[in-house]
Amino acid sequence: MAIKRREFLGTVAAGSAIVTMPGFLSGCGIQSATAISAAMPANPFMDWFGVDQATVARVMSELTSRGADTADLYFQHSRSNSLTLEDGIVSSANSGIAQGVGLRVVIGEQTGYAFTEDLTLPSMLAAARTASAIASGSQVVAPQQFNPLAAGNLYTTTVPWADVGVEQKLPVMKTIEQQAKSKDPAIEKVAVYWSDGDERVMIATLDGKLVTDHRPMARVTVVVTAKKGGETQTGYSNIAAREEFSWFSEDRLSAMVDEAVDRTLIQFEARRPPAGEMPVILAAGASGILLHEAIGHGMEADFNRKGTSIYSDMIGKKVAENFVTVVDQADIPRERGALNYDDEGNKAGRTVMVEQGILKSYLHDQISAKQYGLKATGSGRRESYQYAPMPRMSCTFMEDGPHTKDEIIASVDRGIICETYTNGQVQIGAGDYTFYVKNGWLVENGKVTAPIKDVNIIGNGPESLKRITMVANDARLDTGGWTCGKNGQSVPVSQGIPTVLVSNMTVGGENAG
Amino acid sequence: MRVDALKQAEHAVEIAKAAGADEIVATISQSRDVTFEYRDGALEKVKDTTSQGLAIQVYAAGRYSSHQTTDLTPERLKGFVAEAVAITNALEPDEFREITPPELFKGRSELDLDLVDPAVADISREQRLAWCEAIDTIASNHDKVISTTAGVYDGTYGSTTVSSNGFSGSRESTYCWYGSEITLRDQGERRAEDSFYVGSPHIGTLPTASSVADTALQRVLSRLNSEKGPTVKATMLVDSRAAASLIGRLLGPANARRVQQGQSYWAGLVGEKAFSDKLTIIDDPLIKRGLASRHFDDEGIAAKVMPVVENGVVRNLYVDAYYGRKAGLAVTTGSPSNRLVGTGDRSLDELLAAIGTGVYVTSWLGGNADNTTGDFSLGLRGHMIENGKVGRPVGEMNVTGNLRDLFGRLEMTGNDVYPYSATLSPSLVFSDVDFSGA
Repeated sequence: MAIKRREFLGTVAAGSAIVTMPGFLSGCGIQSATAISAAMPANPFMDWFGVDQATVARVMSELTSRGADTADLYFQHSRSNSLTLEDGIVSSANSGIAQGVGLRVVIGEQTGYAFTEDLTLPSMLAAARTASAIASGSQVVAPQQFNPLAAGNLYTTTVPWADVGVEQKLPVMKTIEQQAKSKDPAIEKVAVYWSDGDERVMIATLDGKLVTDHRPMARVTVVVTAKKGGETQTGYSNIAAREEFSWFSEDRLSAMVDEAVDRTLIQFEARRPPAGEMPVILAAGASGILLHEAIGHGMEADFNRKGTSIYSDMIGKKVAENFVTVVDQADIPRERGALNYDDEGNKAGRTVMVEQGILKSYLHDQISAKQYGLKATGSGRRESYQYAPMPRMSCTFMEDGPHTKDEIIASVDRGIICETYTNGQVQIGAGDYTFYVKNGWLVENGKVTAPIKDVNIIGNGPESLKRITMVANDARLDTGGWTCGKNGQSVPVSQGIPTVLVSNMTVGGENAG
Repeated sequence: MRVDALKQAEHAVEIAKAAGADEIVATISQSRDVTFEYRDGALEKVKDTTSQGLAIQVYAAGRYSSHQTTDLTPERLKGFVAEAVAITNALEPDEFREITPPELFKGRSELDLDLVDPAVADISREQRLAWCEAIDTIASNHDKVISTTAGVYDGTYGSTTVSSNGFSGSRESTYCWYGSEITLRDQGERRAEDSFYVGSPHIGTLPTASSVADTALQRVLSRLNSEKGPTVKATMLVDSRAAASLIGRLLGPANARRVQQGQSYWAGLVGEKAFSDKLTIIDDPLIKRGLASRHFDDEGIAAKVMPVVENGVVRNLYVDAYYGRKAGLAVTTGSPSNRLVGTGDRSLDELLAAIGTGVYVTSWLGGNADNTTGDFSLGLRGHMIENGKVGRPVGEMNVTGNLRDLFGRLEMTGNDVYPYSATLSPSLVFSDVDFSGA
């Protein structure tokens, strides 16, 4: 495990960040002895972690004994479950439990961090002393009581995933497989990957807040492999949300199956587009990956307070046409990127990054907000108790514009439409970013003519924003299971966009001159 | 700690057997990790953590599942294991699922892999700070510098695995990495940035902190005034660092799981001349101080040196016990260790001179490959090669093609292996590559 992290450091260039679809295998599953629904008294989360107000106060006091601008204890219990169907049978499962507390003390831009998986007082005090070593001042006044804030209701569930057994999921997976197989005789293999989990988080802060959040998550993926003549093609689709079992309705799952089958079969006809610069139409939905890479990461305030982002000196400037408004919004019910509170205990909400073409606000955690003299935007997130938080996106999208999809297609003489994606990446300082297009279409003389596949597209963030010349009125969020990686931490995100025309981008194609 | 871990692992095996498992594999792991990050003259982040976990693999009535937890309190552990067995019993039977047969445990090398440097556990706060300061000094006075971050990452890892059918093995390793990430002001709002880190199980083998920072600074300076490169068909030189990840992509589907699932362009290639005769890749788990060295793999299979490709001919795929049985392939190992890519006799400068004109790739940006067909398209940064030398810096370019075809056109390999990756590759030269840019 350690080697993987070092390899990441060694091989990924500075200041880059990525977003990916899931690797099909890497489920982390769960289910455990203690049912989540069992704990429900006056302070369920305290009971869950086996701590009380006095213990938390004692640890906070130790954590801030050498001074602190801010400090927090991040208790987390996460359980995950995954199931694999291959070759007609559900023959493997995985489950995982991760529990611990992360302890953080911040002074100015300095952070001390430690965590422990042993939630006894001596172990937590030892970790608090380790984290506090970054500071060299004197004790600050730590709260003796923490004030519980009202729980959020963005993703309340009636049945927690811990109460949904393998026997309930198994027939659903079988149905998905059979449906996919029956769609076309060319389909040789179908695999179905199921993953679900519940996360309980309790955050106690130096300013006396006690925030609790119960975060469910589920994702189902279907992978289709088809053979025609000597040629084999693979395609997939998935859906993900902070939802419960009943969300996986027949309609929703058959739409996913249709999508996976279509994406697979079209590849037998698809070709590479010609290489070079051309107009690029981004289809509504998953094309929000453009926003995630071209602007979202560059607007995360940690890069900006350090001056390392291309957007560091651009707040208040005109960066795009008036009809371009780009938002990061966490309070969208049940979306994969949704959050009631961020991982610093701040209410998560809506941040307008670009408003009618003007660059408005970065995404702030507490460290950057303090430096800029602003209120945090509730964007401090972390992968788990093992990591300190930093500014991250949640659900990133562009609002509707004045054009229609048909108008946009009709306006292009020779270009492409991008429809499905696997991953993207950005270079924060230079602003160069890429995304990989799995399926798309060629557009010639204002008409969609032929399918294309497997091309990387590269552009520059601020330049691409300027080149968004048309925005349609069909905005939607993608329901795919996107995961964003930054500095070795992964968090779930959502993204969306209406149909958009970028007048010029570099398309990886064949037959270069 | 080892004795304690062994007892804990054996205990997990016992309770799983008592709960109804036919066979069980249990691993206890422990780690300590320390991070120091130092930015623009001041310590920015200190992280010091210890972690532990139990992972079990359960076989019951022809069924299989795997589970892990960080909660090792005895009363919860029992419930965790019982639940794991219950989940296993709820699955469907699979004739190919069985615990790794003991004959595959045999022949384990007793070579000392030298993966532990006792000095790592004793690295002091002062030592980490001294490295940070030495790194920081290199770029902090440069007139274009916006930000420079020094990072020191060190730690120890240990695990003990036992199984109900006789496997027992331990792993211990240390690591120490340090390096630098630098951002310089470039044209307009653009920043040039790059990083360089070095690492090893042993501190003594690392180059000095200031030389590492100097390499990072030289890399960033070479990026200044980068422009969009051309759309062109040209010769591609991939530097040894970037080559490691390209080799990783090539080998991504070279395994029994992908082949059995019909998702690999490597299917049917064993014994075939599939690539240029310049391509040789050996999987070698027994390299002293190697970043991915091991005596046994994740399934307990005794580690052996394995040729994957020799002079363009495919010799072996990564075959684990389950998918091997299912696909009717002889088991090798399911997971890669150190991968040695065959070298040539030319230095980087000699390769550049031999190429004359082309594109020199120093890092990738995004992109992907289709495992089933081998079709790929990758973003890149690098330089034009002009008159046999490194020319102007370019970016915002893609390279597109098919991995099998590309490695069929591997024309030359260098003698300059990049040592800070488990994939030990030299620089690679490919002909007739499609680039897209301006």
